[in-house]
Amino acid sequence: MPSDDPIAAKVLASVASVKSLPEESVSLEQSLVELGFDSLDTINLLFELEETFKVSIPDEEARQVKTVSDVVAGIRKLTADTVAGSPGGYAA
Amino acid sequence: MDTRHRVVVTGLGLVCALGASVTESWAAMLAGDCGISPIQAVDTSGLKFRNGAEVRNFEPAAHFDPGRIELLDRFAQLLLLAAREAVQDAGLASSTDKGGSRIETASALPAAVITGTGAGGLATVETQLPRSRMHPFTIPRTMASAGASQVAMEFGITGPAYTVCSACSSANHAIGQAFWMVRQGLVEIALAGGSEAPFNLGTLKAWDALRAVSSDTCRPFSKDRRGLVLGEGAAMLVLESLERAQARGVRIHGEVMGFGMSSDACHITQPALEGPVRAMEAALRDARIPAAAVGYVNAHGTGTALNDVAEARAIRQVFGNSPVAVSSTKSMHGHALGASGAIEAVASALALRDGILPPTASFTELDPECDLDVIANVPRPAACEYAMSNSFAFGGLNAVLLLRKFA
Repeated sequence: MPSDDPIAAKVLASVASVKSLPEESVSLEQSLVELGFDSLDTINLLFELEETFKVSIPDEEARQVKTVSDVVAGIRKLTADTVAGSPGGYAA
Repeated sequence: MDTRHRVVVTGLGLVCALGASVTESWAAMLAGDCGISPIQAVDTSGLKFRNGAEVRNFEPAAHFDPGRIELLDRFAQLLLLAAREAVQDAGLASSTDKGGSRIETASALPAAVITGTGAGGLATVETQLPRSRMHPFTIPRTMASAGASQVAMEFGITGPAYTVCSACSSANHAIGQAFWMVRQGLVEIALAGGSEAPFNLGTLKAWDALRAVSSDTCRPFSKDRRGLVLGEGAAMLVLESLERAQARGVRIHGEVMGFGMSSDACHITQPALEGPVRAMEAALRDARIPAAAVGYVNAHGTGTALNDVAEARAIRQVFGNSPVAVSSTKSMHGHALGASGAIEAVASALALRDGILPPTASFTELDPECDLDVIANVPRPAACEYAMSNSFAFGGLNAVLLLRKFA
């Protein structure tokens, strides 16, 4: 379902596009496994997200992700780090 | 009446990150040496990984005429080195540095050469691409079958000659087909093996994108494994009928007993359970032996999260409760893709011949999901009669060889 939050909206669009699903059928609460993601789909999604948000997603972070909202939270953190000028860091 | 010929291994050749010969590489394997170190061939600063298992100190000019080098991608150069060593080891021809020797067969049957490679000479395309016009030798260097052609030309091999491409199973498919040809009497002698030279930026970036490469080293079946480490190299085996080998009184390293193959028909990268099980069972059937006769498995063992769990389950299913020692020598020579089956066939044959099983290097703690008797870090003396060598490629293409200690 569409979201007002621009990051969530783009993540939902990427998730839907990787599995060729209608965007309205994907929600934040769903897990990637529920949506039928296998390892190659997940790699494909990570690539899409890295291109869309101009970030680098470390494997360790990627492994923690279960649901679409986990993906959104991860991207939010990575993009915040990039804006703060310390990629991967937690500068105050 | 069984008209099948017994097929023996009379020549071995190997060049990989562990050494420029069989002797050097085998000694390194038995020492548990790891050939993995920071990649030198290309700038890895844009990649998420730094390490590879490269062939070091290799000077093409020391082995080939300048005119010939122009026609040889690195994958073909490495293949020729391994082929020369194997042919010399088998006492078939005294190959000089510049080649030119011919393999003489005892009968009218010409010899065969079957090679495997995953990607052939991709590096050549990469070096030529920035030029406004590509060098006219780009195609003859790049084609995956160039290695087989070059070996055939160097040794005057005029029988069946071709290249098998099945990603990381390529060399096992090549050796298996050569084995069957000799067993059926289609040829008396065959050179078989594989080669790979993946250290070019395009290939490395592509592997990086797949997130399958370890950021440190290769720890197959370990709990903390992080993925595969790419390797390069080549290995070749001389296979011939027992009658012919005995007639010319050559030393025999081992015997090829079985070959089994299967397809998962399931997923382009994800490993499955049933396909590998069927390939291992097919190899056992082909060799006409029970699983319990096998003492050692040289595993595909890439060190990725998914492969090692799937392979461990498959081995468990095939071997049940019969004890079998398992190691992945990829922990030392890296994953040389289309060459890996050949490198591991050499290791398996020598393990049987010498009564000592090579270890899995860099092993830390067994992953409970990989419940196997893993030979950890140090070699294990063991007088096994049979060894199995597994290759389970991307795209679900499985090829398994069964070797026997020659007696």
